[in-house]
Amino acid sequence: MDFAQSESDDIIAETIGRFAVDELRPRLREFEAARSVSKAVRDSYAMLGFEGFDLPEDAGGAGLGMLSRIRTNRLLAEADAGAALALDRFAPAVYVIEAFGGIAALKSFEAMLGRPDSRFALVMDDGAGISSGARVEGEAAWVPATHADVLVGLGPHGAWVLQEGFAFEPVAGAALHAAGASRVRYTGAPIHAWHDPALAARALAKIRLYYASLIWGVLTDAAGFSRTYALDRVAFGKPIAHHQALAFLIVDMYVAVERVGLLIEDAARAIDAADDRAVGAAAAAFVDAVEASRFVGSNGVQILGGHGFMRDFPVEKAMRDARALGLLAGGCDAAREDAGAALAAIPLRAVA
Amino acid sequence: MNGFSPALCAHIQRVREWGRAEVRPAGLEADRSGAPLPADHPYFAKYMGFRREHLPALEDDSVPEGPAVRMVAFNEENAYWDRGMGVAAPGPGLPSRIVATSGTPDQRERFLGPFRGTDQPRWGSFALTEPGGGSDTAAFRTRATRTDRGYLLNGAKCFIGNAARADWVLVQANLDPEKGRAGQRAFFVQHGNRGMTGIKIEKKMGLRAYESVSFILEDCEVPHENILGGERPAQASRSGAYAETMGTLNTTRVGVAASAVGMARSAYDEALGFAKASGAIRTARVRDRLEAMHRQLRAAWLMTLRAAWKADRKIPNIVDASMAKVFAAETAQDLASAGMEIVGLEAGAGHHLVEKLFRDAKALNIVEGTGQIQRIIMGRSLVGLPR
Repeated sequence: MDFAQSESDDIIAETIGRFAVDELRPRLREFEAARSVSKAVRDSYAMLGFEGFDLPEDAGGAGLGMLSRIRTNRLLAEADAGAALALDRFAPAVYVIEAFGGIAALKSFEAMLGRPDSRFALVMDDGAGISSGARVEGEAAWVPATHADVLVGLGPHGAWVLQEGFAFEPVAGAALHAAGASRVRYTGAPIHAWHDPALAARALAKIRLYYASLIWGVLTDAAGFSRTYALDRVAFGKPIAHHQALAFLIVDMYVAVERVGLLIEDAARAIDAADDRAVGAAAAAFVDAVEASRFVGSNGVQILGGHGFMRDFPVEKAMRDARALGLLAGGCDAAREDAGAALAAIPLRAVA
Repeated sequence: MNGFSPALCAHIQRVREWGRAEVRPAGLEADRSGAPLPADHPYFAKYMGFRREHLPALEDDSVPEGPAVRMVAFNEENAYWDRGMGVAAPGPGLPSRIVATSGTPDQRERFLGPFRGTDQPRWGSFALTEPGGGSDTAAFRTRATRTDRGYLLNGAKCFIGNAARADWVLVQANLDPEKGRAGQRAFFVQHGNRGMTGIKIEKKMGLRAYESVSFILEDCEVPHENILGGERPAQASRSGAYAETMGTLNTTRVGVAASAVGMARSAYDEALGFAKASGAIRTARVRDRLEAMHRQLRAAWLMTLRAAWKADRKIPNIVDASMAKVFAAETAQDLASAGMEIVGLEAGAGHHLVEKLFRDAKALNIVEGTGQIQRIIMGRSLVGLPR
């Protein structure tokens, strides 16, 4: 096991980290109020050349793999998870297209992938897995996006792709406001429809890890920000961090975030190595991130006390963002079910 | 799954075979008898053969992993079969590193030499903990007084591993109480030394396979040459020999974490095996519980492995080591308890391995720095928690 980061990941981390700190973090509330990331910042991100960087090289990406992706997501989400979603026009929807249709299917979207304003969105559809030619119909109550040119549906048995026949209707959204928030209704004939539970599981593993890594970033920020605050804030004559009750809480929050990070990186390595345990490991990492968010997100606010409850500080946003991210990719309970089934060597979702 | 080299995997496989055939049965025998196996038990003679044949694996040049990663790999596998038997294993044990690094050439020869090239089981022991001071080493009351003939030791030690059967016990005592911890030195007390009295082998909840010994030092006289490191002048450093000792303990912290992971894995395997055999695996409730156990286990192992990996690369790992220690120890407890839940009344009947693991695992969150001490250590690094 090698815990080191590659040289290319070091360079990515430095570039993305600087962008996140300089461009995203100072505009946290501005993006939230606007329900979008400004064009200038989107252009600035595009200039960095990281759009679609985890797509295969043959499809115009850099083929950097899941480990690079999750580390990048963490850095972006540490600044603003909503902005991270807004800036990524392709993932995680294109993971589905790649898993089922391979390079050929991705190439069929080549023109769109190259267009600066195009966007792919993902909905989870438990009925997905239809035969080619059939119509799909349904709705997703919340998608963290304002629009899309391509809508991808993924379920336990298969997936579909719609290029028309869907509409985004704005909703209030609980969190991640920089990405926008919409109810999506769809009805139409897919341009692609696939049935293959094994491929669906593989795509879902990447999607779960994608969102888990955003949670990881949010929790890193919540733990780090509240820790810094606890060192500044004085009560009873000393920094509140030096009261053992809070010191131990801060330590436990740190451990929880480290634990999540280790499981996410472990699952990413398994995905990149096409390891058999990747599906279960990714599901488990997602569950762990969601469970940790209840502890770290909430206590990030707790440490700041009344200030934490106010929008003057980012910890209340972190608490909401982490909670909302855990609802995506089919949610925590489905992931727990899949992770448990993988351990028991039971076919995924074949158990009651 | 662990990404270990084939060479290390081959060594682990031999430890696994030995563990399954010998260590697990011996550990169960000790647990059921309620006492450590006697020093002349045939297990220990067999162990010496195994040790002669396979322990050089730790220095095998064909293994690319560093010494810390090797240590955690072996500790994890050993503890999977029986943590208590691992501590009971003949050898100089924990103090060997202290003697090797801080002892004089004469002491290294006199006290470590007899352990080399012999098939005779023999033990060394290290006495730090006292009845009135476990984690607070500054509160230790055992005193050493220099006389013309040597040193007189007075005080009491408790919970000392293998001390009753050891050839020698390295006893920590304060030679200069005014200097506080900096006055602490270590002294070799040889088996049968007059003044080492009241030897009591404790009855324990778990880990019954090795002796935990309490004893009194009553004008216990040792010769001048038995002070570790010799009669050198007072250390220039603030805490002297104390720092040397604690430094050694710091390096073993990750090893304890690995042992906890091994015990946790054992509990998980027992629970999973039972759930499959009984059909309970078909219920979502049990699968959810197993999933949470497996996830926690994996995280504990990754934390431990990363702390060792950093140690091998000389990357500072104080926080990582404490984090691994506390998290792995709590994982062992959690998984043993959850394992009992899955095994149910069979565990309650008292004959199932998972029940033994439940009793054994608790100690891991106490020895070599309790969970609270580890949090204090982490707190010092993370928020500058005052000393």
